[in-house]
Amino acid sequence: MGRRKKIVQECERLMDNPEHIRNIAIAAHVDHGKTTLSDNLLAGAGMISQDTAGEQLAMDTKEDEQERGITIDAANVSMTHEYEDTNHLINLIDTPGHVDFGGDVTRAMRAVDGALVVVDAVEGAMPQTETVLRQALREGVKPTLFINKVDRLISELQEGPQEMQERLLSVIADVNELIRGMAENMDDIPEDWTVSVEDGTVGFGSALYKWGVSMPSMQRTGMDFGDIMELEQNDKRDELHERTPLSTVVLDMVCEHFPNPVDAQPRRVPRIWRGDPDSTLAEGMQLVDEDGEVVFMVTDISMDPHAGEIATGRVFSGTLEKGQELYVSGTAGKNRIQSVGLFMGSEREEVEHVPAGNIASVTGLRDAIAGSTVSSVEMTPFESIEHISEPVITKSVEAQSMDDLPKLIETLQQVAKEDPTIQIEINEDTGEHLISGQGELHLEVITQRIRDNQGIPVITGEPIVVFREQPQEASREVEGQSPNRHNKFYLTVEPMAQDIVDAIQLGEVSMDMPELERREALQEAGMDKDTSQNVEDIHRTNILIDDTKGIQHLNETMELVLEGLQEALDDGPLAAEPVQGSLFRLHDAKLHEDTIHRGPAQVIPAVRDAVHRALIDGEVRLLEPIQDVRIDVPSEHMGAASGEIQGRRGRVDDMYQEGDLMVVEGIAPVEEMIGFSSDIRSATEGRASWNTENAGFRVLVDNLQREKIMEIRERKGMKLELPSSIDYI
Amino acid sequence: MLTFIGLGLYDERSITVEGREALRSADRVFAEFYTSRLVGADVDDLEAAHGVDVEVRDREGVERDPEPILTAAETGDAAFLTAGDTMISTTHADLRLRAESRGIDTRVIHGVTAQSAASSLTGLQNYRFGKAVTLPFPYAHGGDDVPSSVRETIEANRERGLHTVVYLDIKVGTGPSGPDPDHEEYMTADYAAGLLADGWRDELAVVVARAGSPDPVVAADRLSALAEREFGDPLHTLVIPGDLHHVEAEALVGLAGAPESILEE
Ligand SMILES: Nc1nc2c(ncn2[C@@H]2O[C@H](COP(=O)(O)OP(=O)(O)OP(=O)(O)O)[C@@H](O)[C@H]2O)c(=O)[nH]1
Ligand SMILES: [Mg+2]
Repeated sequence: MGRRKKIVQECERLMDNPEHIRNIAIAAHVDHGKTTLSDNLLAGAGMISQDTAGEQLAMDTKEDEQERGITIDAANVSMTHEYEDTNHLINLIDTPGHVDFGGDVTRAMRAVDGALVVVDAVEGAMPQTETVLRQALREGVKPTLFINKVDRLISELQEGPQEMQERLLSVIADVNELIRGMAENMDDIPEDWTVSVEDGTVGFGSALYKWGVSMPSMQRTGMDFGDIMELEQNDKRDELHERTPLSTVVLDMVCEHFPNPVDAQPRRVPRIWRGDPDSTLAEGMQLVDEDGEVVFMVTDISMDPHAGEIATGRVFSGTLEKGQELYVSGTAGKNRIQSVGLFMGSEREEVEHVPAGNIASVTGLRDAIAGSTVSSVEMTPFESIEHISEPVITKSVEAQSMDDLPKLIETLQQVAKEDPTIQIEINEDTGEHLISGQGELHLEVITQRIRDNQGIPVITGEPIVVFREQPQEASREVEGQSPNRHNKFYLTVEPMAQDIVDAIQLGEVSMDMPELERREALQEAGMDKDTSQNVEDIHRTNILIDDTKGIQHLNETMELVLEGLQEALDDGPLAAEPVQGSLFRLHDAKLHEDTIHRGPAQVIPAVRDAVHRALIDGEVRLLEPIQDVRIDVPSEHMGAASGEIQGRRGRVDDMYQEGDLMVVEGIAPVEEMIGFSSDIRSATEGRASWNTENAGFRVLVDNLQREKIMEIRERKGMKLELPSSIDYI
Repeated sequence: MLTFIGLGLYDERSITVEGREALRSADRVFAEFYTSRLVGADVDDLEAAHGVDVEVRDREGVERDPEPILTAAETGDAAFLTAGDTMISTTHADLRLRAESRGIDTRVIHGVTAQSAASSLTGLQNYRFGKAVTLPFPYAHGGDDVPSSVRETIEANRERGLHTVVYLDIKVGTGPSGPDPDHEEYMTADYAAGLLADGWRDELAVVVARAGSPDPVVAADRLSALAEREFGDPLHTLVIPGDLHHVEAEALVGLAGAPESILEE
């Protein structure tokens, strides 16, 4: 029997024993060494050869990942590890670090109970370090820390023991400060989740040279930092690897400090599922009951050339088996499981069954999307997995040949299914479809995949950014009238408090939740009690409050009112861009006696009209997406680097020294950041490294409003004339 | 001058003599058929019968852009036609008010409407009708069956012993999935009876089909029984009687074939 086959069998045996399972994600800022580390763990577990680990990047399987040298798709792998005489099954997800693929990290966190956060010793905690920590804690996932690339401190930067210790301690302190800040408002996280060397929740080492060290490993091997520095300095890395192998240090830490599913699920389930806590379903999930009802949360959809569409996710209760007919949340009817499997390195192994507590990958769930709840009985679905960053950049794609049209549409729909942080707008009339995503790279990767993997030659447009519209002050009461003049609606609008907007974006408030719960969540976010009781609709990040009392026929007209409202919010009055962060109040309505005279043709335009009038009276303005920008650069190029931010309508907020580099921090509009990479490279002779992160939307400066609005209207083929009531722009 | 002329119930000959004269002498003739229409005649028949050109306006062209009509009325004699009467059900009072406020003289020439046919063909007394309602196609009102206001109106009328005229929805130019110039759909009385029979299966109702035509049909029966029958070409109307005066009950039995048992009730 081959070694691989043996490992598969061992995994199958261990699957049934939740106490010995660990589900973990490796997450970090881009390039801090997640994939190199994952390879090490695979090699340590005997899944790939020790020699190629790290160079091969076995987990970055896709051609474009190898080419670009970054991880694009989260990758699953299972392995076994013996710790304290017991064999453990470790289901691991290697996540991408580039901010454009952050949606993958958010989704991976739903599937796991522990997050191994990797930080580059030289760079220290970076913007994405903070983001992945937040993503982990929000899902109730426990963090530990691995400080990587320590070899560079020793061999490259030639740091002495004192200097090195200070640097490592400051990384730990930074990470702990972040954890403390985030855990503060989370009362369901029992212990102190900060990390420490003494507790063994911090490891150090080099993923590239495959050695590692932690407090427990020092005790076990007798090797301290002094010994390590000596071997590393003398280029005896192989010996270092032999004597204190990275995989043992990290996998021991995983087994010791990450909760197993039996410990984790009782705490995590209430955080991610709002169903009845006293039901048998809840009990099945709390107990990780393999004989309970099947509850499977899909966190990833991918295409396998052989097996077809694969849904990967976490089994919270019951046991997945071939042939089961399961409900998929949000769709009618059931799907039949065609095969059940685990990921072993880059390949999927089919197995007989996968019980509760594991990460499984199944085929046959044709209706499932990333985020679906799949179950043997109908149930309240899991909380949706919200990735906070909305798409900010859009590109058009068109098939070069008409014959490819149907295939392109199908591919685009598949893309949206696999990556919920992408938005697709299909336009069958013009054939010019729109893809919106997190950043330039995101869109580039997707269009390249359509070209290369699907073999569809496409023409893509220049990237353009997505705008928003928002009122700037409270409006007076305005009237919207139906075309037949028999129906009238009276509305006001005001900008909504940011806390409420945040709560909607985080999925803490939605129309899908029971009314009482929604009221409470809104009040918690700062909405007053009366208002929270009259919420009629939440659309995007806007709310409609019904302040009317006892108006005859309004009830049966409300559906149409909402339709009009939603249409008006999808296409704002300035440039038909989506409206955000507004609170509408319906104060009064006058309705025709007969349904026919207050049908869709009357009510929808009347409400749309009222909504736009209210927005204009509230001085609606165009908002543009902005990014936080951080540039690390040698001091002689600092001027050029900050110039690059300022020259892009940006603002430099801070400049400080970190090690031998200067850090420039600021913000800039996404639109101006298009093409930033090549400009900053030439401005700093290629010496700068930089990070950007989407930071929401900001009102566009006054003197650009009109120009930009007209530009968008022209692009969309709208009238180049604003309503005369817009006299403030 | 803007003259509102009701075309009456059925075809090009249902107009009154007074209406015909006004129509024939107008400089421009406008019409709308989006809420009701003559089933026995199309625009060509009207034009041929009266020797005029008829400019048909859609809803947009009446409600949102009445300017051409008003301008024509300002500079000459304009006629505005609808099936039935121009001021009942779909009231064009709004258009009349706009014209008046611009100093245009207006005039109304009445037409016979379904409301009067419902009373005269069934023998139900005009004094004993309550509020009328329209029963919309389920897809047209955003719900999935009978809007509660329709049921409430019928209930309220019956509590006071009054009859209810139920107009049946007409969709011309808009279908279930939005605007569609070829769409033409008339709710039939059996379909309407089917919708209302849900909950009211044994209630008495009266169908009036093709009022104003040479072969009108009037039929009274339980709603569930009416739902099983067919009444032929449009247009159809339904009446839900309230308390019956003895002459009304006799009329329903004698003229509409109602079960004799209602005479005892
Ligand atoms: N010197 C040194 N280089 C390392 C170490 N670990 C990783 N690297 C290098 O850092 C680069 C990035 O490594 P990856 O493993 O791809 O990093 P990653 O975090 O997976 O990157 P993304 O998935 O794209 O975010 C590669 O060139 C590695 O060879 C280390 O311990 N020491
Ligand atoms: Mg990687």
